[in-house]
Parts: sequence; C-alpha cells; structure tokens
Amino acid sequence: MNAILNIFRKFSLKRTIKKIIKRIETELLDDFLELLLKVIRLVLCVDRKYRRNIKDFNARYAFRSQDGEIAASAIFKNNKMKVKKDEIPDTNVTVIFKDGKALWEFLMAPDPDVFAFVLENKLSYEGNLNYLMKFGYMAKHLKVMFGM
Amino acid sequence: MTNILMKEIKKDPDLRQYTLNNLPLLETLKARYEATQTAVCIERAKYITEYMKNPKDPDEPMELTRARAVNHYLSSREPIFHNENLIAGSSTSKEVGAPVYPELLGISIWPELDTISTRKTNPQLLTEEEAETLNFDVFPFWMDRTILEATRKKLMDEKSPTLQSLKLMEKIAFFMAGKTTVISHTTPFYETVLEKGLNAMIEEAQQKENELGPDEHEKKPFYQAMQIAMQGIINYAQNLSKKAAELAAQASSNGKMKYFQEMADICARVPARPAESFREAINSLWLCHVGVLAENVNMATNPGRLDQVLYPYFKKDMELNKITVEEALNLLGCLWFKISDNTNLVPESAEKMFGGAGSVPAVTLGGITKEGKDAVNDLTYLMLKVTELLPIKDPNVNARYHYKINDKAYMDRVSRVIIRTAAIPATYNDIVNIATLENQGVSTEHARDYAVIGCVELGSAGREYASTSSILLNLSAAMDMTLYNGKRPYITGDLQIGPQTGEPEDLKTFEAFQTAFETQLKALVEMAIDLNEELGRMHQRLLPTPLLSCFFEGPLEKGKDLIFGGALYNSSGVTHVAFADVCDSLNAIEDAVYRNKKVTLAQMKEAVEKNFEGYENLHAYVKNKAPKYGTDDSDESHPIAVKNSQRLIRFLYDLYQSHTNYRGGKYRPAYWTMTNHAGLGKIGHALPSGRKAYEVFSSGITPASQCAKDLTGAYKSVAELGSEFIPGGVALNMKYTPETSVSENGSYLKHFTNMAEGYFKSGGMQVQYNIQTYETLEDARKHPEKYPQMIVRVSGYSAYFKDLNDAMKHELITRTQYDLETGKAVPYSGTDKGGEE
Repeated sequence: MNAILNIFRKFSLKRTIKKIIKRIETELLDDFLELLLKVIRLVLCVDRKYRRNIKDFNARYAFRSQDGEIAASAIFKNNKMKVKKDEIPDTNVTVIFKDGKALWEFLMAPDPDVFAFVLENKLSYEGNLNYLMKFGYMAKHLKVMFGM
Repeated sequence: MTNILMKEIKKDPDLRQYTLNNLPLLETLKARYEATQTAVCIERAKYITEYMKNPKDPDEPMELTRARAVNHYLSSREPIFHNENLIAGSSTSKEVGAPVYPELLGISIWPELDTISTRKTNPQLLTEEEAETLNFDVFPFWMDRTILEATRKKLMDEKSPTLQSLKLMEKIAFFMAGKTTVISHTTPFYETVLEKGLNAMIEEAQQKENELGPDEHEKKPFYQAMQIAMQGIINYAQNLSKKAAELAAQASSNGKMKYFQEMADICARVPARPAESFREAINSLWLCHVGVLAENVNMATNPGRLDQVLYPYFKKDMELNKITVEEALNLLGCLWFKISDNTNLVPESAEKMFGGAGSVPAVTLGGITKEGKDAVNDLTYLMLKVTELLPIKDPNVNARYHYKINDKAYMDRVSRVIIRTAAIPATYNDIVNIATLENQGVSTEHARDYAVIGCVELGSAGREYASTSSILLNLSAAMDMTLYNGKRPYITGDLQIGPQTGEPEDLKTFEAFQTAFETQLKALVEMAIDLNEELGRMHQRLLPTPLLSCFFEGPLEKGKDLIFGGALYNSSGVTHVAFADVCDSLNAIEDAVYRNKKVTLAQMKEAVEKNFEGYENLHAYVKNKAPKYGTDDSDESHPIAVKNSQRLIRFLYDLYQSHTNYRGGKYRPAYWTMTNHAGLGKIGHALPSGRKAYEVFSSGITPASQCAKDLTGAYKSVAELGSEFIPGGVALNMKYTPETSVSENGSYLKHFTNMAEGYFKSGGMQVQYNIQTYETLEDARKHPEKYPQMIVRVSGYSAYFKDLNDAMKHELITRTQYDLETGKAVPYSGTDKGGEE
C-alpha cells in the first residue's frame, strides 16, 4: 500500500513541478529565479535521493543581474536549503547575469553552458567556480528527473 | 644495425609485403578500436580520492601523500585484459577511456554527468552508477582543493594583484593557463628502467636516502616518495600477472592459454626486473607509462624516441633469431593501440571551442644520436610502416630529419608515409632544432637527443622538464588593447587592463603605434606569467610528481622533485594564437594608415569596430593590397611584412627570456595552436588585417589562409623568422593538392621532399601536412559518414576530421591549398562559412 502511495505522490509531485516550471517559462523574468530555487527546495524536501546532494553540504550562493534588479540567494546548511529574495554576503560563489533574459536562458536552456555564457559576457562569477558546477548539476539533474 | 633486416629495408623501404591482411592481429585490433566508443573512466578518481580523504598521515609532506595515493590507485586497480593485445596493462579501466583528474579540471564535467553519454559533440560513456560516484563521493571532496580554486583562495586571502590575472584568464579570450588543467607536457626517459628494472631503481633511491647527511633531511621524503610510487607500478604489474595466470588456467583453448601464460610471465618479470627481450621491453615501457599517467594528466605526456629506446632489445632478438619482422610489426602495432587507449576528458563547452583533440602522446623517430651519428635504424622503418598501416590519431608520430647525416632514402620514405596517410607524420629539422636548444643552454649531446613534446614542442628527452603548455596567449588581445588605449570593451567593458598608451589620434607615427602595441603586449604577457608562477607554486604545494621524477635525469641526483626544479633543464613554454593575423594587422596599419594614408588610425578603429560595414573599400584594400605575412621580401610592394613579423618574433623572445620561472628556468615562446585558433577566432572581433569578426584565426605559425599565394615565398617567410627566437617550437600547417595520375612518375614525391628540404635548409623548424583538396574536405564536412577515419593535422596534432568542431573544420577547408607542381596556391572558390550543416 505504501509503495502505491509513494508512486502516487511522486506522480503528483512531477505534475505539480511541471506546472510550476511551465509557469516559470511564461511568467515575468523578475520572479522566475526565486521560483526556480523554490522548486529545487521543494524537490529536496520530497525526494530522498535528490536530497543526498545537500547532505553535509554547507554553501551560500547569490544570483543577481548586473543592474541589481533581479536577485535571489540560496543557503545550504544542516542538510536543508533556504531561499532568499535578495543577494546575501559571504557567498561561496556569486553569479552575475547580464540581464533577466540571460539568466532565464542560462537556467532554462536544455544545455546551460557556463563557459559559453562567460565568453558572451552574459555571465560572470565571483568566487569558487566548482560551487557553480555543483549547482549546474543539481539544476540540470532536476530537468532530467522531470523529463524536461 | 641488424644486417638481415636492413637488406630487406634497402630493397624495399616500404616493406610492401606486410599489409593488414597478413597481420590479422592488427587488423582485428584496428576494427575493434574503430568500433569502440570512448568512456569516462572514474577508477583513478575514485581511488585517489579515497586515499586523499583518509591519508596515512595527514601531516606528512605532500610528496609522500601523493606517492601513497598513486601507489594506492595502482595497487588497487582492477587488472583487465580488454582484447588480444600483446601488451599488458591499460591506462584506464575502459577499452578507450577518458580518465578523470579531479584535482585539476576533471570536476568541470559535473554539470553534465547526466548527459555526457548522449551529448551531441564527442559523447563519452558514463554509467548512472559511475555518475553517482563522481557526484556524491569524488567531486564534493575536491570543491575547495583543485589547483584553480586553491590558487584563487590564496590570491583572495592575500589581496594579490594577480587575482586580476586569474579573472582575465577565466575570460579565456586573453590567455589561458595550462597549469589549471595539466601538470604534464613533457617527455620522460625509459632507457634506465628497461636496462635496470624498477627494483634496482628503488634500491638506488633507498641508497640515496640512506646516504643523506645530517643537513639534508628535507630530501628524505622525496626519496621515500620515489620508492613508494615505483612500488605502485610493480604492484600493478604483479596483479596483472596473477590475473593472467588465472585466465590461463581457465582458458578454453591452447591459444588463449599460451597467450595468458605469456602475459603472466612477462608481467611477473617487468618492469620490476631488466627487460630481456623486445616484447618485455615494450611491456615494461608501457607499464611505466601507465604509472606516469596515474600521477600526471594524460595530456602530452610522451613516450619519446621509441626507435632509439627500444632498438637494443629489437636488435638482440633479431640477431638471436628470436623474433621475425612480422612479430615485431605486431608488437609495435599493439603499442600504438595501447598508446591510443586513452583520450582526454573534455566538458561539452570546451568541445565546442577546442574539440577533437586526443591526449597527444608524441612519438619521435629518426634524426641523429647523442653522439651525432645517423639514428635511423630498422625500428624507425618498422614504426613508419606501422604508422602507415594504422593511421590513428594517437600516437602523434613525428619524424626528425638531419639533411646532412640522414639518408635521403629515409626522408623519401617519411614523405611517402605522409602522402599515403594524407597527414602523418610531422617532420622536424634536426640542424636548426638542435642549435635552438643549444642556444637555450642545453648541452650538444642532450640537444641532439631531443624528442617532440605533445604537439610540436622540443625538449631533451628525460632531462628537460619543459612544461610547454604553461600559457597560451591570444596576440589579438594586445592589438585590441592598443586600439582601445588599454581596454578591450567587447570582452571586459570599461575595465582598464593594460596601461594607457594613447587614443588613436595620439599615435602619430607607425613607430608610436608599434611601441604602444608592444607595451600592451608586455603588460599582457607579464600578467600571464605572474599567474603561471602562482599556479606553479600551488603545484609545488599540492601536486608534487615523485613518480614522473623517477624517469628523469636530475631528481635522483639532486634529491628534488621535478616541479621544484629537479630536472637537468627547466623551462616554461608559452604558445601564441593569431600570430599571422596580428602581423597582418600591423602591416595593414603601417601601410594603409601611416604610409599610404588611406584612413586615419581613428577611422581604422571605427572600421574594425563596425566589422568593416560602411568601410568596404578599406576592407578590400587591407585584404588584397596591404602586405601579408607569408609573402617574402622579394616582392617590391611587401617589404614591411617581413620586417613586422620578424620584429614581433624577436620582441616576444626577448620579453620571455627575461623572465625566470619558479623552477629556475626560462620562458620559451612557441607558435602552435591546437584548435584554439578556431575557438578563439569565433569569439574575436574584427582586426585591421581585414579578418572579420568571429572568423577563425590563422593556425600556428602559418600565414593566414588565402594570403600567401606562392609556396616558396610562404616557406621562406616562415624559415627566416629565426628559429633561435622560437625555442618553444612551431606548427607550420601546409595543405597540398593530392597526387594526381599525371604526377605518378614520381615527380610528386620529388617535389614534396625537395620542398621540405629547401624549407629546412632555409632554417625552417617543423612542417606538417594535409594532403587534401578544398572539395574533399567540404564533402567530408557535409557527409561525415563517407569519411569516418579521415585523419587531418590540426595545428600540432592529428585528429579525425569528423570529431572537430565547425570552426575548426572551416579553418581546415579554407586553409590555403598549394599545388606542388606549380608551387602556387589553388584559389578557393567554395562557399564554406563554418556554420553547422
């Protein structure tokens, strides 16, 4: 019975997340970063295997556009993830996007390519690149999990 | 030399009776190799990380920790026999593997762990389980410990100005720092291990340790580390021996039982003990090379002068009638496949920029001996035969030629192999290369024993830690910075990168412009050198190389690791992208702005900024009328092309040689570009030369495509740059129309050899070829399925044309094609634009 319930829960979650992501794709650029981070947080809460990604992982990420109009942050601590609406200090990596469009392209493209974005001046970062690599894996893995 | 075989070679240097049809083992291995898809190998990453997480003593010196980690990996590896290859051991757990070196840039594949197996560009297989191991067990450990991040943290903590250099490096478009990705690019020396065996070498290190005086305690860990690391190779060989014995016992046929029993016997003996046969020597050399790759990244770590190192064992077996030519060819072919059993791990974004490269292990043939005698021997010819039979991308085969000492028949044979494979080997001029190394302080005997490193670089084998890929510098960045008074707006916005050398209207004469350009170039070079020095010191702290040090002259005697300056000779190599484009930009500015006053410098800047839109007449002028590098000074209208190219070469030589690296050696300029000229071109704006935005740059030291119309003039221009000013080496890429039926009377070969010899006599250092037409390459681009194994020379190494990125394919297609009969360029009338098909 539990197994059936689990399958049902996973199916419902998948549908819900797909709906949210559909909304991310169509909503205003300003909100979608925070929304995407919240989706990651949601999946971390409900998916044990995905949650393993943040086991003993302590890190602080900030994302913002060059003009500072868009900002959001993620804090990983005590095997949990917190999402904040603004830029936080003392990060392991701060990712700076040229504008909302660049940020959207980076996070929603089927193959987000850090180096290509750097070369095209759409993205820069301050801090440890490997933290961005890990985040890139987590974001991309989410897309693989939900067949996007 | 072995008379029996030399008679056969003198009669037929091509050894035509040997084909893949009568060498079925090689035919089988070739088919298997071609059908095998590259897979990511996590074995090394797993074991090295496992040890580093739980080292024996966290406080012991890093050379000991590294040696124990390498020993742990080599001792724990699964002994695998993938196929019927006569040589035991493999560099990875996969049949063709891309090993992960997480301490450098292996971690950069993290975002694509789910997709690397299926990506469009050069996919590399990775199972879900392996991806999970990397994601959960390996990469998290290295997040703060890679060379790049440890260096960044140090620079941030110190608030060092070099942090700015690191940020520029990460923009890729200024310069790249090789030490973030590799520790290698050098050629070890395997003669000693073949002759003495590792047991004896361990004893020597132990003796050195025992003999240390009371004030030499700091050397003790290094000697211990050498012993521990070498023991790792012996352990790996013993495990292979045990496994082979087990497989022999289980064998289903006498043939298999014999095969495995032989493997068990060989691995039980070598490399621990001296090699006693040709087959043992090859196995011993390969197992030591596998050990070196366990410690050092599989990029341009070179087997060296194999025809010299292995010759005594071959000769002895031939004299005792213990081996036939056929058996020797089989063994050499097996070695070629072993050397090709690994490739480099490349993230997708890097594939797009720089794709198609292998691990570029260079094998060097021919030339002269340390004593100055003809070094061409029976094995040289057998290795050329194997290269002809097996035109695979690795090893990167290179043929040295001393036109005063080597037989002309040898060079003719080399030429025929190039013509038949359409690409391999590259050729090197012994006379100038030896003199160039001597000019760098290398003794005559050691200079004569040079081996090619990676693409085209030169170094005395096993004596010179040349670190030839320390820096790759984009010369076009300095040109941009000169036009923009020290800035490069389209890459770094308003950031002042170089000194303020004046706005265009301030630069009243060409001399003032050239001085400004050289000032910007100097600033850029010094930023790149500062960063390389920091990275080098971080290598010393985190990545000592006790095992590689065992295969060099110097470390044992000095009690010092290679990366602390243990080798006899130390240097750092800096290669340059866009040499011809920048020379032609200087030429265009001197001619169009200052001499003929077609435009002002401010207008030239505006034209470049607008990608020549609205400046079509100027574009036509600089493309067609302005002087071009590659046209010699016999042309009355172009005397300044020679002057500007030679001045740039000399300026860079003086600049680099004035810097001493962290190991006590000099910086050496070089001009080879791999595929970087294509990748960097695709992100570069227009130049005064008339090269438009996003067009590929010229390759290596080669004149820009379609600029040098006369083959002799092109060769002469390159040769007269002065090899003594290019101690790092060059890649000159020439494309010839293939032989037609009209030239089958031998005139094609004659022209081919004479042209190379003429270039060498003028002072040329190196040349490599593609024997292809524009049309064939265009067809290969449109129909890759028709040319699955088409080998091409890129700018230093060989690659399969189908594996290259679009920009690189475009560069190869449009590279000037010369007709050998007429000595003139064949006009390009194709339409290739370099976009995706």
